[in-house]
Amino acid sequence: MPEAASPVIQVRDVTYLYEGTQAAALDHVSLTLQRGEFIAFVGQNGAGKTTLAKTFNGILLPTRGEVIVEGHETRAAGLDMLARIVGYVYQNPDHQIFSNTVREEVAFGPRNLGLTPEEVNKTVLHALELVDMQKDADTYPFLLGRGQRQKLAVASVIAMGSPVLVVDEPTTGLDLQGSLSIMELLRQWNADGRTIIIITHDMQVVAEYARRTVVMAQGRVLADGPTRAVLTDQAVLAQAFLKAPQITRLAQSLNGRFGLPRDVLTVKEFYAAMKERLNQRSGG
Amino acid sequence: MSDASPSNILVVEDLHFNYPTGQTEALKGVSFSVRPGEFIGLMGPTGAGKTTLALCLRGLIPHVVSGQMQGQVMVCGMNTREVTPAQIGEKVGLAFQDPEAQVIGLTVVEDLAYGPENYEWPPARIRAEIPRLLKLVRLGGMEERETFSLSGGQKQRVALASALMMSPELLILDEPTSELDPIGKAEVFDAVRRLRDEHNTTILMIEHAVEQLAEFADRILMMDQGQIVAQGTPRELFHNVDLFHRTGGERLPQVAELLFALEQDGLITPDQFSPYEGDALHLISRLMEAAHA
Amino acid sequence: MPVGYSIYVETPSTLHRKIDPRTKLIATIAVFILALEFNHPLVLGLLTAGVLGVGLWAQLSLKRFLPFLLGASWFLILGVLIWPAYIHQGLPLFTVFGAVITLDGILFGLAMGLRVALMVVAAGVWMMTTSPQKMTLGLLKMGLPYKAGLAMSTSIRFVPLINAERATIIEAQRARGLRLDRGNPLARASKSVAVIGPMFLRAVDLAQALAVAMDARGFAARENRTSLIEIEMTRTDKIIIAACGVAVIIGLVLRLLGIGVIVKGYL
Repeated sequence: MPEAASPVIQVRDVTYLYEGTQAAALDHVSLTLQRGEFIAFVGQNGAGKTTLAKTFNGILLPTRGEVIVEGHETRAAGLDMLARIVGYVYQNPDHQIFSNTVREEVAFGPRNLGLTPEEVNKTVLHALELVDMQKDADTYPFLLGRGQRQKLAVASVIAMGSPVLVVDEPTTGLDLQGSLSIMELLRQWNADGRTIIIITHDMQVVAEYARRTVVMAQGRVLADGPTRAVLTDQAVLAQAFLKAPQITRLAQSLNGRFGLPRDVLTVKEFYAAMKERLNQRSGG
Repeated sequence: MSDASPSNILVVEDLHFNYPTGQTEALKGVSFSVRPGEFIGLMGPTGAGKTTLALCLRGLIPHVVSGQMQGQVMVCGMNTREVTPAQIGEKVGLAFQDPEAQVIGLTVVEDLAYGPENYEWPPARIRAEIPRLLKLVRLGGMEERETFSLSGGQKQRVALASALMMSPELLILDEPTSELDPIGKAEVFDAVRRLRDEHNTTILMIEHAVEQLAEFADRILMMDQGQIVAQGTPRELFHNVDLFHRTGGERLPQVAELLFALEQDGLITPDQFSPYEGDALHLISRLMEAAHA
Repeated sequence: MPVGYSIYVETPSTLHRKIDPRTKLIATIAVFILALEFNHPLVLGLLTAGVLGVGLWAQLSLKRFLPFLLGASWFLILGVLIWPAYIHQGLPLFTVFGAVITLDGILFGLAMGLRVALMVVAAGVWMMTTSPQKMTLGLLKMGLPYKAGLAMSTSIRFVPLINAERATIIEAQRARGLRLDRGNPLARASKSVAVIGPMFLRAVDLAQALAVAMDARGFAARENRTSLIEIEMTRTDKIIIAACGVAVIIGLVLRLLGIGVIVKGYL
């Protein structure tokens, strides 16, 4: 639950064009993100979700419009300041990992921020505890499996202590175990008060973790609201070439018959609803 | 448990494999067989040995990839130890997970030609085959496109078409959609569906996309820690919910989870269980109507 | 880059379509030799214009040659500044720091610059009119071992990919606070490890995966390979090659006779 509703990121009528292109990667996008939210950006590759997220930490500056991060306009703020506020985990951990040990890797970000060696040690230890990798502290990162390397990449960014965390494709390429590991970590981090933004194609993960969902297509926001409402909006999902999770589709096919809810996000919910109705009907 | 009868296109007998750097065996005694024309799904957590198995079936293990192999693989009547990977390549195709690392040609047509060129096909024959295959994967007319400019889904479809140039009897697909977005995934599954419907190719697909596997596969094998821990039709395999919870590597179709829960409560019988949406809709409606009565 | 990491430009010209890549290579080498045979700026200038003319005939716009000419102009300036210090023959023009600058000295310097321009423009025409595939095929037919040819075409195919990944890696590390634009050169170099490390590892991974993929597609399945693209030496090609040979010989003769040469003692 967000502690206090205060905007942490404001996107004001942002348009972005990549160099040498005519089509807008972001087309008049406006959005306000509150502290403590857990948001999913969904849509096809090229819809603009990654472009939008990259305007939050200043890697990309809007062609038109502005992005305000904790009161700082990104054009004026500079990468150093923004890196302290918005941490960004890229999709492929192998695009970030280069150190000889896990510990060194996690220390890279904090060191760049200019923390003292004691502070760096402290934050590295804390981050490793969060991802449950203390025992791997002196391991060579490339001996770790993909799921572990993904956690390492997340830990490396978490160690920078930013209040906002963007994770690009947290579960792609991971099996169930690996996905759960990362998502539970993000849930915990969110419960600790951080704002989490995930960019993902995995609609089941969206249904189970993100409280708010933003659907994008062709540089525009098609829908932005509570996950429950967005994932049950068939028209919007179809426009973005997305499919709701199987259980949601099942509930929608029933279309409210038997008093069963149409807007179901998880198997648990549907099962509970069914049991309730069945008990009612049999008078028990 | 081996069935070396000529009607099997693939027979794997007690296959063990150990990578040189491995502390434990990657494959610990795998045995199964496949009949011609079957569509086999292969699932399991990361590290279960699925890719290693694929390399063994294609004969790259033991000839190209180093390590200790024991046991036997008979594919299309050949013993993989006794023939070269090139000979196996005339009957078995393999497509990999990373779209970038398997598209070799600068243009689409170059990539499709790569394999046949290696087998000394005359250029006229190569040129005759290409349009048909591009049409199958819905990339017709894109011969001269530069491969660098293609999307992930398009690259995977090129890889699929290239694997099919040799008209293999057995096609192995190693997680072709895991790096793709939903459109890319749909494109690849669409091509696979067409392949299955229009050709007699035996297909072995390693995938995590359980809903699609439930739809296509005649049989699904589940691997964990180097062994096959279960196999059966989608209906049989996804019924084994304990297995999924125990191994923890794969999701169940959500419908299967739901119906299993209902079965546990005695609301449906084991024969009524299904991993398919259509069946679930039917069952739930009947249940709710019956309670209403 | 139009085709992979090459500068090939597709146009429907005769030079692109009908002339064998081997012919173009031989012609380029012939031009290189001619460039060395003369050191008179007028001759070299005319030859350069001639090669540019060939480029125009191949429907390449002059704009494309600008980067080459710009690069060559550095050598032109350097040539005019440095060579007069060594060449003392000819009409004296003025004195600088006690050294006499002669007309021949300046002309020779100009000629050296033009020589670079000529070679670079010739190479440019060759590369812009020959696709990487045909170039590789031509070299293979001239005796280049298959594996070397494969290495060439694989690099052309994959350099854009590695480049794109390099851009992503730089972004990802910048997001972690890496500032490559700060610090003295030594500091910057050591910071680059954060970019080069992942890039290198990715390249190695890619190479390994590619090797397996090639094996899966029948690499070295047979002694020889066929090729989808075919190239053939026609009569036109043979005439051009013969003409090149003749030109080189005439050039040699003229050189020995001292025609087209400003300074006899120097190359």
